[in-house]
Amino acid sequence: MTAGIGHNVPRVDARSKVTGEALFTGDLKLAGLLHGKVLRSPYPHALIRRINTDRAALLPGVMTVLTSTDLQDIDPYYGHSIKDRPVLAIDRVRFVGEPLAAVAAQDEITAEQALSLIEVEYEDLPAATTLDEALSEAAPRLHETDTLRPGLFHGLGELHPQGNICYHHAISRGDLAEAFKQSEIIVEQEYTFPAVYQYAMEPHTVIAAWEGKSVTVWASCQHPYLVRAELADLFDMPVANVRIIVPFLGGGFGSKSYTKMEPITVGLARKAGRPVRIANRVDEAMVTTRRHNMRCWMRTGAQADGTLLARDVRFWMDTGAYADNGPRVVATAADAAPGPYRWKSFQIDAYCVYTNRPPAGSYRAFGATHLQWIGESQVDEIARQAGADPVEIRIRNLLRPGEEVRPGGKLLDADLVGDVQKIATALDWGSPKPPDTGRGIGVGLLAAGARPVSTAIVRMEIDGHATILVSSTEMGQGVRTVMSQLASQELALPIDHIKVPGGDTLITPYDRSTGASRSTTLAGMAVHRAAREIRHQLLEIASQAFEVAPGTIELRDGAAWHADQSLSYSELIQFHFGFTGGELIGRGEVSPGGGKGSYAEGPVFWEVCIGGAEVRLNRDTGRLHITRLVSVADVGQAVNPHLVEAQEMGASMQGLGNALFEEMVFDEGQILNGTLLDYHIPTTEDMPDQFISRLAENEDGPGPYGIKGAGEGALAGVPAAIVNALADIGVPVRELPITPERVWRALKDTEGERDDAWGPPSTP
Amino acid sequence: MLRPFEIHEPGTVEEASVLLAQFGFDAAIYAGGTELLLIMKEGLAHFPHLVNIKTIPGLDEIALSTEGDELQIGPLATHWELERSPTVKKHAPLFAEVESQVANTRVRAMGTIGGNLCFAEPHSDPATLLLAWGATLELSSADAQRQLPAADFTLGMFETARQPDEILTRIRLPLLSENTAGAYRKFSTHERPMATVAALLEVKDGMIEHARLAVGSVGPVPIRASEAEGLLRGQGAEEAAFSTAGELAASASDPIDDLHGSAEYKRHLVRVLTTQALEQAAKRAVGAVNEG
Repeated sequence: MTAGIGHNVPRVDARSKVTGEALFTGDLKLAGLLHGKVLRSPYPHALIRRINTDRAALLPGVMTVLTSTDLQDIDPYYGHSIKDRPVLAIDRVRFVGEPLAAVAAQDEITAEQALSLIEVEYEDLPAATTLDEALSEAAPRLHETDTLRPGLFHGLGELHPQGNICYHHAISRGDLAEAFKQSEIIVEQEYTFPAVYQYAMEPHTVIAAWEGKSVTVWASCQHPYLVRAELADLFDMPVANVRIIVPFLGGGFGSKSYTKMEPITVGLARKAGRPVRIANRVDEAMVTTRRHNMRCWMRTGAQADGTLLARDVRFWMDTGAYADNGPRVVATAADAAPGPYRWKSFQIDAYCVYTNRPPAGSYRAFGATHLQWIGESQVDEIARQAGADPVEIRIRNLLRPGEEVRPGGKLLDADLVGDVQKIATALDWGSPKPPDTGRGIGVGLLAAGARPVSTAIVRMEIDGHATILVSSTEMGQGVRTVMSQLASQELALPIDHIKVPGGDTLITPYDRSTGASRSTTLAGMAVHRAAREIRHQLLEIASQAFEVAPGTIELRDGAAWHADQSLSYSELIQFHFGFTGGELIGRGEVSPGGGKGSYAEGPVFWEVCIGGAEVRLNRDTGRLHITRLVSVADVGQAVNPHLVEAQEMGASMQGLGNALFEEMVFDEGQILNGTLLDYHIPTTEDMPDQFISRLAENEDGPGPYGIKGAGEGALAGVPAAIVNALADIGVPVRELPITPERVWRALKDTEGERDDAWGPPSTP
Repeated sequence: MLRPFEIHEPGTVEEASVLLAQFGFDAAIYAGGTELLLIMKEGLAHFPHLVNIKTIPGLDEIALSTEGDELQIGPLATHWELERSPTVKKHAPLFAEVESQVANTRVRAMGTIGGNLCFAEPHSDPATLLLAWGATLELSSADAQRQLPAADFTLGMFETARQPDEILTRIRLPLLSENTAGAYRKFSTHERPMATVAALLEVKDGMIEHARLAVGSVGPVPIRASEAEGLLRGQGAEEAAFSTAGELAASASDPIDDLHGSAEYKRHLVRVLTTQALEQAAKRAVGAVNEG
């Protein structure tokens, strides 16, 4: 059966995953494969006086020991945003966990033993392990700012690093002072957001095979083409000489976006002359990338009736020792900071700050998750002071489709009022609440889509089966199923006649990345266009075969029909080539220069981040119980409603974790909860009693059939909703996560003299 | 990463004890492996020799003593077996209830009661309960056997009175009298509990004859809250000063600040959990008497 868009097609990879047939990078076996292990710094900031690898190199079974001295023939710095990071530490280490040497050995145990034989002499340096320390006058400097260079994919204008601030992003509109002067209600507060780990079941895994003038890399990476570009740049070779193959990923969530463990693995393979595999463990993954912790100050002004007027925001995000995706995270957070409202004026000042902590990068719904709970809690506080209902105040102030979200950006392309109403209905908004129960709503926008450059090829083989060559990474989100459905729709071909093999830069064409909710919209559009090219070819061939006009032919169930005559696709291709061989090739692309909608202006689309929560508070322990979690997936049109719902649940559960308990705890740069025993991730036991997901299908997206991306929004919407639900019971939140102990302290304080229980840090 | 080790598979307790004596601190007893393998994988400990006692027949038995006055549990009984055993459910339902709350399904399926007690992880659920219960532990070596009250077994964090060549061979739970009932309360935010409280009340003619109260997880070892126990003795079961007892237990507990939470919050939790456990135990004891 053909299973185009709108059908709940079972995942095309479900069977292979549940039976264990699906291959992940760590499953691959190569002849002569060596196992790599990485020596990591125990210091947050220190000079490396000496590294002696002699004893390690002599250990039987060890093939290669790599340090920065082995990389002196290349420019060993990378970083897609800022080229600030050496492949292995040079002369100094900047965070606990920074790689400074690596070993390749015949097995993992030998490699690990060899690490303990590497002698390193450190000289401790003063460290800046918190935002406060890094921003202070006397702070040690993480980098020489005048040597910092933009990376290959910086994309945010010129660098103006200053002190430990590596990037500053500012947006403003209107006369701020005047708008606050008109404000009769002003809410102002400081907030903090913790460092969070983007747990994926499969930690980063890479295999590299050096082949003289080229290299093949199997990597659990989300963006094979960007990794390719960075490896080619680092090892000074044409991009075509770097081949990246991406098997299935055991989850990404942003932790596998951009380049991570690939440079070290390639460096080891280059020196060893044999393929090398590096498989991070969870504790290593935690120091490879994480979500930015943040400090934020926000002020919102409104008229006495709750009409919003002005918002002023300043925030500092801790990007750790190397920028990673920090500048983009900061820019996206700045986009999210005003919230989706009609302001007279707003001003956003956002800073990306180096500290002696592990680098921070992407994590699902970055920026929006950081800012939305803050902005939305101020909107609710204004509603309380204005005596207005939170739903009503939102409907009054929300932007309408076609209104400006941020200066110079794409106009709003979503029905936010409709989305809020859907949440309110699912929450039974306004109905009586049981004791100690609160309800909250959070709505916001996330600049989604990244850069709109994607290409795809569809091959239709002689038997009428199709193979989709597209470089989107299957990381659990179901992209292979979605691409199959998009092609099925256009080709009128049964889903089991369509194959999506996954990314391989030698074979599958360029796609910018898999992230920012972009694949269905952008890579999907490329696949849609490639399939449409084949569709046209089939119609053309059929019109010759039937000797009728193409307009009288219908494609259905893998065949062309004219009245009651039919020819299968296989017969058509044989007719075309006059032989029992040949194939049809369709190609599609998306670029800022063309296509439907406004790919030229950013963002590609505004992803709606919306959530609703009903929580019950245990006043004895401070524990929150989530009785109901609601989300709306504003997707334009759902290709596969079940997959959309599963994405919503996943994002909601991560949002719940971010809101209620996830936090990487640091002490002087050292992680105190660096294993899953101590770092609690959301599990089935944390599920809400009731989970409701609603679709909004207004066909208002820039993808094929009005599709737009999904899967991130709920992660930002849920914490905002939970924070507001708690405020609804009278407990203010200014620091995440909302642990039972913090709630208990807030309760004690509200009972007492309303002392500030959340202890926001002072503004530097 | 798990480094190589040699595994020994003795057929009797004596053989196991001889192996343990021979290897001393280079050996560890391997049962469920849910704690041991974790620390070995993390590199926190390395034992070149593991003595697998799962090859010794009979160590997983759960039975009533011939006198019928105590439940005898083999150390290899898993949490999963204990929570489901008809014998345990009939004669020590509170113990089955607590076992059903240990860690998670995966740990309960593999982890053993003996391993849990001998590892002496400070957040052990059974250790808190057995302390209140007044259980006795039987330790055997090649040439000797001794009985130790649960209170004397756990000495500190990851530290017990078990000698290197000794094997915990039996956990002996005296059956509770008909007019005794208990309750267990725990509070967790992470994999292991932040605070645990076990309460047992013996009620006669509506009066508390005897109270036993243990507080676990907040400090290095579970402790008895004897002042609170003393306060309750002689009070009416339905109107006893449970919240005062909770406060006494809280001040008796000696919590530490750690990743789970501050000492202050844990002390508060002990107060709340103790009060709740006592109230439930009293309700059950009175109910049992009324039914009987």
